[in-house]
Amino acid sequence: MSIRNLFAPFRKRSRALDEEVQFHLEKQVEANIAAGMSPDEARRQALIAFGGVQQTKERIAEVRWTRILEVLLLDARYAWRLLRKSPLFTSIVVITLAVGIGLNTAVFSLIDAVLFRALPAQNPEGLVLVRWHAQHRPKLHSWRSYGECSGNGDNDTCSLSLPWSNTVRSQTQLFCGVAAFAPSLTVDLSGNGPATITNRAEYVSGDFFSTLGIKAALGRTLQPSDDSEHAAPVLILSYAYWKSAFGAAPDVVGRSVRLNGVPFTIIGVAQQGFKGLAPANALDLWVPFSTRPLLTSGFTPRDNDESSWWVVTVARMKSGVSRTQAQAALSLLFRNQTENGPKPLFTAADQPGITLQPAREALTGGTRNTLQPLYILMMAVGLVLLIACANIAGLLLARSAARSREIAVRLTLGARRRRIVSQLLMESVILSVMGGALGLLLGRWVARLSLLLRQSSDSGPWPYTPHLDARVLLFTLSISVFTALLFGLAPALRSLRQDFMPALKAGATTSDESGRRKWYSLGNALVVAQVTLAIVALVSAGLMVHTLRNLKQTDLGFDPHNVLTFSVRPSLAGYKPAQMNGLYHELQQKFAALPGVTSVTYSLVPLLGGYYVATDIHLPGRPATQTAQTSFLPVGPGFFSSMRIPMVTGRDFSPRDFAIAAEAASRAPDAPPDPKAPPMPVIVNRLFVEKFFPGPNPVGRHFDEGTTDNPNAPKEPGFVIVGMVGNARFSNLRNEIDPTMYVPATSDDVSFAVRSTSDPQQLVSAIREVVLRRDSNLALSHVITESEQIDNLVFIERMVAQISTSFAVLALLLACAGTYGLLSYEVSRRTREIGIRMAIGAQQNDVLAMVVRHGLLLALAGAVIGTAASFGVSRLLQSMLYGVHAGDPVTLVAVAILLLLVSLVACWLPARRATKVDPLVALRYE
Amino acid sequence: MASQIDLLQGTLDLLILKTLALGPMHGWGISQRIQQVSQEVLQVGQGSLYPALARLEQRDWISAEWSTSENNRRARYYSLTKSGRKQLEKELGEWERLSAAIALVLQQG
Repeated sequence: MSIRNLFAPFRKRSRALDEEVQFHLEKQVEANIAAGMSPDEARRQALIAFGGVQQTKERIAEVRWTRILEVLLLDARYAWRLLRKSPLFTSIVVITLAVGIGLNTAVFSLIDAVLFRALPAQNPEGLVLVRWHAQHRPKLHSWRSYGECSGNGDNDTCSLSLPWSNTVRSQTQLFCGVAAFAPSLTVDLSGNGPATITNRAEYVSGDFFSTLGIKAALGRTLQPSDDSEHAAPVLILSYAYWKSAFGAAPDVVGRSVRLNGVPFTIIGVAQQGFKGLAPANALDLWVPFSTRPLLTSGFTPRDNDESSWWVVTVARMKSGVSRTQAQAALSLLFRNQTENGPKPLFTAADQPGITLQPAREALTGGTRNTLQPLYILMMAVGLVLLIACANIAGLLLARSAARSREIAVRLTLGARRRRIVSQLLMESVILSVMGGALGLLLGRWVARLSLLLRQSSDSGPWPYTPHLDARVLLFTLSISVFTALLFGLAPALRSLRQDFMPALKAGATTSDESGRRKWYSLGNALVVAQVTLAIVALVSAGLMVHTLRNLKQTDLGFDPHNVLTFSVRPSLAGYKPAQMNGLYHELQQKFAALPGVTSVTYSLVPLLGGYYVATDIHLPGRPATQTAQTSFLPVGPGFFSSMRIPMVTGRDFSPRDFAIAAEAASRAPDAPPDPKAPPMPVIVNRLFVEKFFPGPNPVGRHFDEGTTDNPNAPKEPGFVIVGMVGNARFSNLRNEIDPTMYVPATSDDVSFAVRSTSDPQQLVSAIREVVLRRDSNLALSHVITESEQIDNLVFIERMVAQISTSFAVLALLLACAGTYGLLSYEVSRRTREIGIRMAIGAQQNDVLAMVVRHGLLLALAGAVIGTAASFGVSRLLQSMLYGVHAGDPVTLVAVAILLLLVSLVACWLPARRATKVDPLVALRYE
Repeated sequence: MASQIDLLQGTLDLLILKTLALGPMHGWGISQRIQQVSQEVLQVGQGSLYPALARLEQRDWISAEWSTSENNRRARYYSLTKSGRKQLEKELGEWERLSAAIALVLQQG
């Protein structure tokens, strides 16, 4: 029914009233004329006599509304009295509802917080994001995108050049300010206790804070003068980082710290609550764009010219300028600069252009990843609410059937059916509103708990804050009313449709067979529905638990126990590549000397740390254009023995191998290969050999680097296999192990792996001490054990498995309660029948079997439907499953057995009660 | 025209019910009849008549229906329902008890 139809009766009423008043006036005019007045006078007198037409109408409307409110209030009081008479029933229903509604409110408020995140700026409606689009990608020197705006592929993003953001700023007739930023800056911060690495730093323009209207909590924010070539390097701390890393020191302003070894002055702390403009990460600190040459080791001046796109530009519109107007003006400028500049980035055929998008809509970076698990959760809690509804509907049904006599009496006494339905519904609404209110409290609490969640172990705290805003309140209110209708309507309508004569005649509740049958089939259907939903929940949970166990039991090919890994990034502390090998060698020896350490090694990235490095190779005898892909990992000395990856044939890397690698790395990247240099020694895994070099002995075999862009370029010295090791997992737990090639590590940041005799976490402080004593600018980051890394890899799976298991248990309990309620009711209805059966010779066992059979039949029906339904639902899960199929028979059978056992218990209690029926009492009952 | 008396709300309801007990009638007719029968003493203001009709209709004591009036015009006719008839009896009884009681008190002097 649409809103229009809903109000149609009211509008019809109003028109009818007009007509009625008109009729009255005309009659009065006739009467006045008959009494001898002139027509005009008659009309005038009639109007005077009638008084204010509008006032009359208002009073009538008032009467109607007062009456409706009166009736509602009356119903509410009546329902409330009835509910208070059965406190157990009421509290069970309210608590069930509170759990269902509370969970839904919690998940919704999280989704709400992500979707409707307010832009942290003053007057955010004036902010627009500048994005470009074209037919093809531009010819750029470098290009970085951070996913801050969701684009339509590579030809439409918000990464632009630094000069372009200055061009936008110079359009002062269109804009009154620009806030440009480039996230994902990782720095090594030292000079404040032990050095730390943070990847939550951001380059911003000098007018970033003033354009957004963000104030300083302490000191000052950036000024345009801080963002110029010769300005002293300064930084702004976020409020949260100031509290966590600087202990909220009041004298922090003016302090000097080192970023990547370069001294920076802290000039201020941003206002409380400001975590950055884009939502994905809560930031720690901001530095001006002009400090980039100081912080980035590989910086070239071209990084700041028009052909390097890495800056996100947000502009504040001048009032009175329309978005289309500004967009057209900027597009013209953009075309001119990119097509006609000294180095054209586009041709005219590319049709480059600029779009201005409201910043709040456009800056959605990271929201999609965050929302996906939340949507899965929303479905799960929706399922729980549905089961709760079915359950309560069953309870209400039993209750209204028990009240059929009362209703029948009231109907014969002339009560309108509409009124009775509205009274029964009012009962549901009251229950639901109480459940909703309690659920709101519960939901607040659950949502706050979930703030402790992290999107992964690496990210900071959840950047979104759920609020109890109007949308959440409206959501809770509407699901409360919706559930009230869902569980209240069927019993209410059912109570009317029954033939009430038998209920009256029988004088008791035992023999109204027809009414009972009808009620019964609905009650049965509700129980079957609950069992079905519970089966779906159980099967999904079973599959996820299975998946988690399979993942954790995967053969890794190395020994992850008691291994601590951590990254060292000397490149951020100002080390030159040539110095790094010496540093690593020294650290390796010092770590190995710590008590409890059995072995120490390092590699470019840790095993199973969520990284994947691959390279192309060219195999001998293949066409020059044909390359093959292999995983690729630079490793330090003793890697294989330390990680316990078995050496199958050949040997480990020797010091000479590391020297060859260091020599190769020291050559300039653009320099032509030296054909006289020795080939790079590599160690490969068994799969690599099986796939690329099947044959007796792979050691000594030779292959080349795969260069796709120019197949005729001279080959580099290539690679030579010196050893073969067992297959070990490198990037993830799920996929097939890839062919892998290990090379000697040189001149890059690395991750150490320290194996110890007991819990490696105890080594952390000793290791920090070693590093600090070696160089106070060096920071440890990503300190984590291998076992924790593996836990992180299955983070989502574990979360889904845990949540779906608890929901499945909840669903099972609800379904059980539903079965129990229905059977208990059946037994009490059939007391007389059972009494007769027993009087004519039925045994206790027969009665027991009768009741249990009924319950088990329902469970079986639900199990069959649920199993079929779970095939469909688990297909949705297929992408998350590992080592188990959607229709896994073990899971299905286990779930079915579990369910039958549990429903047996639910049947047993009422069945026992049935056997206790005393035939004499039962027959006298009537 | 004789002097008019303001009607209490409950009394107006009773008069309307009583008037409708004679047969269905439209709003204007009801006010005219009350005026005539009371010999012009009771004037029912339209401003209170129609709200009273709405109120009685809400309570299901009277029902309304469109039909054609004497000279072929559409008019809304009100009639007494089953529960309205019961209500009328109840209120008449109460009224009689009340007026008898008042009469007793007044006669005493």
